[in-house]
Amino acid sequence: MSVVWERRRTALRSGWREFTAQRSGVAGLVVLGVAVAVAVLGPLLTGASALDVTRVEAAAWEPPGPGHWLGTDHTGRSVALLVLNGTGASMLVGLTAAALSVAIGTLVGIASGHFRGWPASALMRVTDFFLVVPQLVLAIALSAVLPRGLGTIVLAIGLTSWPATARVVRAQTLAVEARPYVERAHALGGGHLHVIAHHVVPAVLPLVLVNTTLAVASSIVSESTLAFLGLGDPTHLSWGTLLHQAQLFGAVSKEAWWFLLPPGLGIMGLVLAFTLVGRALETVINPRLRS
Amino acid sequence: MRIAGKLLGAGVSLGMIVVLGFLLFRVIPGDPVVSWARGRPVTPEMLASMRSSYGLDKPLFVQFLSYAGGLLHGDMGQSFSYNRPVLDVIGERVGPTLLLVGTSTVIAVILGLWLGIRSAWRRASTFDRVSTSVALALWSTPTFWLGMLLMIATGDLFPSRGMRDTDTAPDFVSQSLDVAHHLVLPSVTFVAVVYAQYQLVMRSSMLEEMHAPYLTTARAKGLRDDLVRRRHAVPNALLPAVTLVFLHLGLVVAGAITTETVFTWPGLGLLFYDALSGLDLPLLQGLLVVTAGAVVVMNLLADLLYGVLDPRVRAA
Amino acid sequence: MRAIALRFTAAVMAFTFTGSVPAVADGPVTLKVAIVQQIDSMNPFLAVFQSSTEIGRLMYDPLTTYAQDDQRVVEAVAAKWEPSPDKLTWTFTVPGGKKWSDGQPITSRDVAFTYNLMLTNETARTANGSYVANFESVTAPDEQTVVIKTKAPQVTMTALDVPIVPEHKWSSVSDLKNYRNEDFPVVGSGPFILTDHKPGEFIKLKANKDYWRGAPKYDELHFVYFKNSDAAVQALAKGEIDLVNRMAPAQFDSLQGKEGVERNKARGRRFNELLVNPGAQNKSGQFIGDGNPVLRDVRVRRAIAQSIDLESLVKRVSLGYAEIGTGIVPPVFEKYHWEPARRRAFDPAAARAALDAAGYPLRDGTRFSLRLMGRSGRAYDEQASEYIKTSLADVGIRAEVQLVSDDQLNQATTAATYDLAFSGWGANVDPDFILGLHTCAQRPGPDGTGGTTDSYFCDAEYDALYAQQLSEFDEARRIDLVKRMQERFYDQVPSVVLSYENALEAYRGDRFSRFPVQPANGGVIMAQNGVWGYYGAVPALAASSSGGVSGVVIGIAVVAVLVLVSGVLVARRRRVTAEERE
Repeated sequence: MSVVWERRRTALRSGWREFTAQRSGVAGLVVLGVAVAVAVLGPLLTGASALDVTRVEAAAWEPPGPGHWLGTDHTGRSVALLVLNGTGASMLVGLTAAALSVAIGTLVGIASGHFRGWPASALMRVTDFFLVVPQLVLAIALSAVLPRGLGTIVLAIGLTSWPATARVVRAQTLAVEARPYVERAHALGGGHLHVIAHHVVPAVLPLVLVNTTLAVASSIVSESTLAFLGLGDPTHLSWGTLLHQAQLFGAVSKEAWWFLLPPGLGIMGLVLAFTLVGRALETVINPRLRS
Repeated sequence: MRIAGKLLGAGVSLGMIVVLGFLLFRVIPGDPVVSWARGRPVTPEMLASMRSSYGLDKPLFVQFLSYAGGLLHGDMGQSFSYNRPVLDVIGERVGPTLLLVGTSTVIAVILGLWLGIRSAWRRASTFDRVSTSVALALWSTPTFWLGMLLMIATGDLFPSRGMRDTDTAPDFVSQSLDVAHHLVLPSVTFVAVVYAQYQLVMRSSMLEEMHAPYLTTARAKGLRDDLVRRRHAVPNALLPAVTLVFLHLGLVVAGAITTETVFTWPGLGLLFYDALSGLDLPLLQGLLVVTAGAVVVMNLLADLLYGVLDPRVRAA
Repeated sequence: MRAIALRFTAAVMAFTFTGSVPAVADGPVTLKVAIVQQIDSMNPFLAVFQSSTEIGRLMYDPLTTYAQDDQRVVEAVAAKWEPSPDKLTWTFTVPGGKKWSDGQPITSRDVAFTYNLMLTNETARTANGSYVANFESVTAPDEQTVVIKTKAPQVTMTALDVPIVPEHKWSSVSDLKNYRNEDFPVVGSGPFILTDHKPGEFIKLKANKDYWRGAPKYDELHFVYFKNSDAAVQALAKGEIDLVNRMAPAQFDSLQGKEGVERNKARGRRFNELLVNPGAQNKSGQFIGDGNPVLRDVRVRRAIAQSIDLESLVKRVSLGYAEIGTGIVPPVFEKYHWEPARRRAFDPAAARAALDAAGYPLRDGTRFSLRLMGRSGRAYDEQASEYIKTSLADVGIRAEVQLVSDDQLNQATTAATYDLAFSGWGANVDPDFILGLHTCAQRPGPDGTGGTTDSYFCDAEYDALYAQQLSEFDEARRIDLVKRMQERFYDQVPSVVLSYENALEAYRGDRFSRFPVQPANGGVIMAQNGVWGYYGAVPALAASSSGGVSGVVIGIAVVAVLVLVSGVLVARRRRVTAEERE
C-alpha cells in the first residue's frame, strides 16, 4: 500500500512541476486565490450597513470619484462594495453547481462505462440526449417553474450540464477497464465495487478534476445569464444579479459604465481563471497536448 | 443499418423531448389557469371553461396523451398571452432567427476555423498566444454583457434594437440595407462569443493531426509547409472539428436567446424571453420542443453527412 | 477575382446611395411610439394586454368615451344615452353620418351585432366579457337606436369599454378564436387605421382622414416594440422614436435637460400596495392558506401600517415620483378619491406600544415573523422590500423577504399562502372594478377556484356600502358611498396602499410640439381612458426627417466592410497563386 502512496505522491509532485511550468495556469491559480480571499473577506470588510439601501447616504448614480472609487448604483450603494460582496455568491453558485454537475456526470459515466447490458446503453442514450438538448433552454425552463432562489439556480445548472463530464468519464472508464490488470482483478473475483473503487475511480479522478474546473467556469457564465434574464435570486447579489439590476434600473441609458463594467469584468476574470487552470491541468494529464 | 439506428436514436430523442416538455411545463408548475387569470376581470365560469378547454380537469396521463397526439398533428396548443396556436406564433419568428444565427454562424465558423488552423500551425508563436488568449477571454465573457457594452461603446453608429426601422422605404434594396445595418451589433456580439469554441476545437484537432506520422512523411518528401497544411492536415482535422461544432449547437441556441434579448431582435430567442416573463407555459413548451427538436435533427443530419464524408465510418 | 469584387462593391455603393434617396425626401409625418409590452392579438374580442387594447381603441370607437379634459362621459359611436326610470333599460342613439373607414355607414346594427356576438359566443367574451355579464338583451329597433336591457341596475353603462366592430366585416368571421384581424388595412371607426403588424417588431397605423371628429394632424402612427423601457429611453434620446411611457424614475431623471426631449410627469392610475393577509377565508368561511394568524388581529395590521414610513418610500424608492398612499381610488380620479382627515402617522414608538398592548411582547428582540413576498424583476418590489423589512424590524417584527416569479406570487396570493405581499392595480374612471375586488363575493369557492379577490378582505360594512353604490345613480350620493368604503378599508387595513405612482412619459419636443393629456390637470399622454394623446398630437413645424442620416451611415458601413473583405480576398488569392506557381 505504502508503495502505491509513494508512487502517487511522486506523480503528484511531478504533476505540480508540470503545472507550474505553464504560466497561464499559474496566473489563473493566482487570480483564483485572490478571488477566494475577496469572497471570504468581502462581507467582513464591507459590513452589513454599507449595502443596506435604507441606510446609505450617498446619492444614486454617482460616477467614480473620491469616496466611491467605482461610483454608486441606483440606490446610492457603492459599486465597489457591491462587486466585492458579489464575489462570494457568484463563486458559491459556480462551485456548487459544478460539484453537482460533475458528481452526476461521474456517477453516470462510470456506471455506463463499467456495467454492460441495456441499463448501461440506456444511460448512454440519456447522456447523449442531454448532451444535444440546448442546456441553457433546459436551465431556463427549470428555473422558471421552480421557486426562485440560489438553490434553484444551482439545481438548474447542475442538472443540465453533467453530460459532458459523463461522456469523458465513460470513455476513460472503458479505457481503464480494457487494461490487463483490471481484467486480472475481475478474474480474481474482484466485485464491481472493488474494481470501481480501486481501479476505475483513481484513473478517472484527474480527469474529473479538470472537468470540475471547466464546469465551474461555465456554471458561472450560466448563472450570470439566468440572472440577467430575470431568473436569479435578487436577495443574493451575485455579479449576474448586479448586471440584471444595472439593466433593470437603466444603467445603459444613463451610460453608467461604472455599474456595468466591474461585475462583467469580474465574471470574465473568474471564468478565465478557472478555464486557464483547467486547461493547464488538462495538459498535465494529457502529455500529448504538451509542446 | 447504421442509418436506421441513427434514425431510431433521433426518434427516441425527440420522444424524450416531448416527455420533458410535458413534465417541465405541465406537471411542475401547478395550475396554469391561475397564472393566466391574475389581474384580469374573469368570472368563475370563465376559469372553469378555460380549465376544460386546456383539458386540465382530466388526469395527467390523459393530458399527456392528448398533448402528444396533438403534436403529431402539429398542434402545440394555444398560447396564453397571444390567444393563438403556439405553432403559428413560433412560425412567424423563425425567419429573423435564421437570418441572425445563419449569418453569424457562417462568419464564426470561418473565422474560428481559420484562426484555429493558423494558431495550431504556428504553435507557441505570438500569433498563437494572442489569438488563443483573445478567444479564451471572449469565451469567458457573458454574451449579454458584451452586447450592452457594444451598445454603449458604438453610440449612435448602429441601431441598438430591432431588425428594421418602421419608415424605411418599402423597396427591396432599402429594406435589405436597413436590415443589414440593424444586423451589425447583434451579429458581432454573437460571433464574438461563439467563434472562440470553433477556434479552440480546430486548434486542438489540428495539433492532434500534426502528430500523425503521415505528416512527417509528407514533409520528409519535401512538400512545402503550406501545402502540407492545406492538402493533408486541414482536411483531416476538419472532420472531428465540424462534428464537435454540431455537438455544440446548443450553445448557438443559448447565444440566440441572449443576443436577441439584448438587441430586441424579433426572433425565437426574444419570443422565449417574452414567454418567460409572461410565463406563457404552452408557448414555452412549444419553444422547448421546437428548438431542442431542431438541434436533434441537425445532429442527425451531421451524423449522416459524417458517414458519407468519412470512409472509415462508412466501412464500420 | 479582384475585378468582380470591385464591380460588386461599386454596384452596392450605387444601390446604397440611390436607396437612401427616398428616405431623405419629404415623407409623411410619423409619430413613433415605444411599446414595451407585447401585442397579444389585434382581434379586439381577444386582446387583453394593455398595449393591444390601446391600439384597439385607436382602431375602433366604443359606444361612449371619456373627455380629455375632465373625463366626463362624451360621445363616441353613440351621441345620446338615456336610462329608463327603473334603470334596467338603456337607450343609445347612434347619429347618422359616421362612417367606417371603407365608407359604409356606422349604424345601431353594428352595435347590436357586437354585443350580441359577445352574448352568444363565449370566445367573444374573452377580453371584455365582464361588461356584458349583466346584460339581458341588446336590440336595434332602427338604424339609429340601440336598446340594452340589463338583469339588474348597472352604473357602468356609460363606461362600456368595448370596441364596436363593423357587422359587414365581422358577420362572416366563423372561427373567432383563430381570427387575427390582420387583413390590412383593417376596416375600423377610430382615428387611425391598422395597416401593418410585424410581431415583435412594430405596428403601423395611418390616419383616418374621414374620422368624424376630424382627421389627426399627422399621417402615420407607428408603435415600435422594445424589450424594456431602458432600451426605449435610449432610442428616444437618440431620436429614433418620439414618445415613451412607463419610465423608471432614474430613466426619467436621465432625460432631464436633454436637447429636444420634453418630459411629462403625470398623475397615474396605478398604485402600489402591501397586502396584509387578514385571515383568508373562502366563500363558505373556512380559513385557507397559511397566513400568520396574528394578522387576523386588526390592531396588528394597524401597527404594521403605522410602522412603515410611506414618505421615505416615496422619496427613496420612487425618487419622489409618487404620492403617498391612502384610499384605494388614486387621486387622479379626484371625484372618488378619499383622503383621511388625519393620515395615519409614521410612528414606530406608537406601533411598538400598540403591539405590546395587543399582547405580542418582544421576546429576544422579536415579536413574531412574517413572510414578505414580492415579484423578482419588479424594480419597486425589489427595493421597497428592503425598506419595509428594516421598518418592521424596528418594531420587533422579523420579515423574511421572498422575491419570486410573477406566477409564484400569483399562486401564493391566490392560495393565501402569504403574510405580506406586494400588489398593485390600475384604477378606472369608474371605481366599481377596484372596489369590487375587495368584496366577500370575490373570495374563492370551497373548491379553491373562482373569485379574483385582491386582499381576502370580507367585511359586512364594506359589502353593504358596495351594494348600495352599485345601484346609486345620484352621483353625489354615490361619491359619498365610495369614499366611506375607502375609509372603512383604510381603517381595517387588509392592505396598505403605499403610493400612487406617477406615470413618467417623455417625447421629442422637436418633432411634436404638443400632446393633449388626460385629465387636463397633470394627466397622461399614453394609457388614457381614450386616445386623445395620440389623436390630438401636434407635429412641430420644422419636423426634420432623420432617415437620410441613417441611410448614409448604412452605406458607409456596408461599403467599408465590402472593401475590407474584397481586399483580404484579393490579397490572399494572390499569395496563394504565387505559392502554387512555385
